[in-house]
Amino acid sequence: MTDPRPVPVPAASSAPYWEGAAQGRLLLPFCSDCARHFFYPRAWCPVCMGRNLVWREASGRGTVHTFSVVHAAPAVGFEGQVPYVIAVIDLAEGPRMMANLVNCAPEAARVGLPVRVVFEQRGEMRVPQFTPADGY
Amino acid sequence: MRNSPAIAAAFEMTPGRYPEHTTLGLYRDVLSQALREWHVRPGQLDGLLIPPADMAADRPDVLMHERFIDELGIRSVLSETMFAGGASYALMVQRAALAIADGRAEAVLCAGAGKFPKLDLDTRRSMSKIFQPQFELPYGPTIPAMYALLATRHMAEYGTTAEQFAAVAVAARRWAMRHPQALMRPRGEIDVAAVLASPMVASPFHMLDCSVPCEGGGAILVTSGEVARRICAQPAYVRGMGEFHSHGYQSQADEFGVSIGAREAGRQAFRTSGLTPGDIDVVEIYDAFSAMPLICLEDLGFCGKGKGGALVESGAILPGGELPLNTYGGLMSFGHVGDASGLSMIVEGARQVMGVAGERQVASAATALVHCYGGMQADHGTLILAREA
Ligand SMILES: [Zn+2]
Repeated sequence: MTDPRPVPVPAASSAPYWEGAAQGRLLLPFCSDCARHFFYPRAWCPVCMGRNLVWREASGRGTVHTFSVVHAAPAVGFEGQVPYVIAVIDLAEGPRMMANLVNCAPEAARVGLPVRVVFEQRGEMRVPQFTPADGY
Repeated sequence: MRNSPAIAAAFEMTPGRYPEHTTLGLYRDVLSQALREWHVRPGQLDGLLIPPADMAADRPDVLMHERFIDELGIRSVLSETMFAGGASYALMVQRAALAIADGRAEAVLCAGAGKFPKLDLDTRRSMSKIFQPQFELPYGPTIPAMYALLATRHMAEYGTTAEQFAAVAVAARRWAMRHPQALMRPRGEIDVAAVLASPMVASPFHMLDCSVPCEGGGAILVTSGEVARRICAQPAYVRGMGEFHSHGYQSQADEFGVSIGAREAGRQAFRTSGLTPGDIDVVEIYDAFSAMPLICLEDLGFCGKGKGGALVESGAILPGGELPLNTYGGLMSFGHVGDASGLSMIVEGARQVMGVAGERQVASAATALVHCYGGMQADHGTLILAREA
């Protein structure tokens, strides 16, 4: 059976992000004008509106900023995933991003948990996800 | 404010299921019942503010004000289909009050009604437009889970407990027992243990930490003080107003243990009213989930940051307490009336100040603060209502 979960559709402003993910690399947009990373990828820097954007590979390390374990009324396509952990990750580079905690028992999820990026096949795409960092 | 803008009348249908009605049918019921109850003729209105019909639908009806200007046969100086989710109505009252203060309008009707959409696949898909399609949707977000992100962070930062969130739901039910229209009143009182024993939806929220979907609607008439005094014995004067938009998509919130919108909109409302939290007698806060009133009480300044858990646990928010909260039962026990949910707490705040809240009337209610949010608690509106202009 095919995976019923939604497959992201890249936009012009995010194509390099998804191409990177397909190669197992977490690429973050970086504004050359104000020298900062931001997330999520968009047409311009949300601080200075600059368009001198470059893509920098992230370390893939982060910590759980907050999370929730979905037990009931899951999102469309996630019926078979319950219970699943939806989390906001503080990336080592500064920005925050949403992801699932994978290969992690829901009861092991906690704020501050060190995590690292992994890539999960989703249709033709690969989606960045996070898993407890080695040693946890 | 000049011309002393006030809520002169407030009406709300009994929340429930209205299978015989379309959304437009519900609107017609709300408008005809409200105007009849108030003894107001459409010709006396010079403004109409209304939200899109079926906000969650794939294609909401965004020409609602044009439709109802024709149906009511009114000619208005102020009219708009306004959308800021659950904050729409608080912002309508502000738009009306400013036009009245400016001398441009005298009597503005703000109305809302909502069916709660059947959660079939198409509806669930169209509701997912509130999530970022590439950077949230692939992770299975749900509305309870997105609000739970705030609750979890609040627990980690301040030691807030599931029992404390549950205390907000327990208090809401206690108030609902005093409201003849409240949807959950027939179910009787609940305690903290019952909340924690109800099925987990999205941690830390159990089923009884969530608002109850239903259908209904209501209307609010905002007029000049002079007109209000002819319509009712005690108007609810609009003393303070605040608005803030803290983010778009939930993952873009600057902070998760904080309601930045409540903090900023609340600060403006207190500044414009010249009042402080200590002057407020009744508080009505949008409670899509139990954690939100607790967090918003802190950010509105009713207690120190991180002290909301102790405040709600102290009994202050219960009937007879020092800080009556969601005196109509809240969206958790009165009912979350579809797209009109953001109107219920304004109706109640006005009724408390007008002294017409019946069995649940707070004896000393000279002031009420109402705080509403919409989107993923992105759009915020605060009102301070008072017996004196
Ligand atoms: Zn920049």
